[in-house]
Amino acid sequence: MNAIYTKRLAYWTAVLFVLWLMLSESFNALHMAVGFSAALLVALLRTDLGAERTYVIRWWRALLYIPWLFSRILVSGVHVSYLILHPRLPIKPVLFRHRADLGSDEAVLLMGNSITLTPGTVTVEADDEELIVHALDEDSTGDVLSQRLEKMVARVFPAGGGRR
Amino acid sequence: MIGIGLFFLVVAAVGMVRLPDVFTRSHAVSLTDSLGAFFVLMGLATYHGFSTNTFRILVVLALLILVNPVISHATVRAALRSGQKPVAEDRR
Repeated sequence: MNAIYTKRLAYWTAVLFVLWLMLSESFNALHMAVGFSAALLVALLRTDLGAERTYVIRWWRALLYIPWLFSRILVSGVHVSYLILHPRLPIKPVLFRHRADLGSDEAVLLMGNSITLTPGTVTVEADDEELIVHALDEDSTGDVLSQRLEKMVARVFPAGGGRR
Repeated sequence: MIGIGLFFLVVAAVGMVRLPDVFTRSHAVSLTDSLGAFFVLMGLATYHGFSTNTFRILVVLALLILVNPVISHATVRAALRSGQKPVAEDRR
């Protein structure tokens, strides 16, 4: 129970309590008491005593990343829809290994999730150095194999930021 | 907006039936969540103008976008590890 822990606990309780108030919109004593208890409980569960993870994230890049990813999702979504609705079902699934030197766990998380979120590609295995990706056809593999996605992720999480 | 979302949902359902194995079907599922649910929820969020419900729907959407790839990934990884043979060219 040190000062940093207490501070972090108070911070998360406050954030969660405000979220509760915004969602519930009822401000009588009972509802607020229940909300505060819930916020405190979740904060107690999530706040660990160890050192907070440190990672570098460029918020500006992260904000650019979201619309970029969405445009890619839209393009591949239309492509996958075409494949599915095509009478002959012209799919040609491939399972491939992609080496990615991302440098931090957060970057691997973002990259793996982005691949899976994009229709046509799914991350099957992921670790520090490489990802195994399943793709519906050759066209779907484009952004991963051309390292375009990797570069976008590297801009959000600059390499070496969070290596423990 | 809702119409576009419904289109993707229907296509994903068709895909579930037509595609041959777990791995390819998971692509159809990611179509539902990333585009189907996105457009339906965005449509609903703006349907009655801005209100606190808009905020609630956005929270649902954010959670969906975080959780969906985790579930897909877990499913596919479990399938491969338990020895499901993908109908796929293996280039590992």
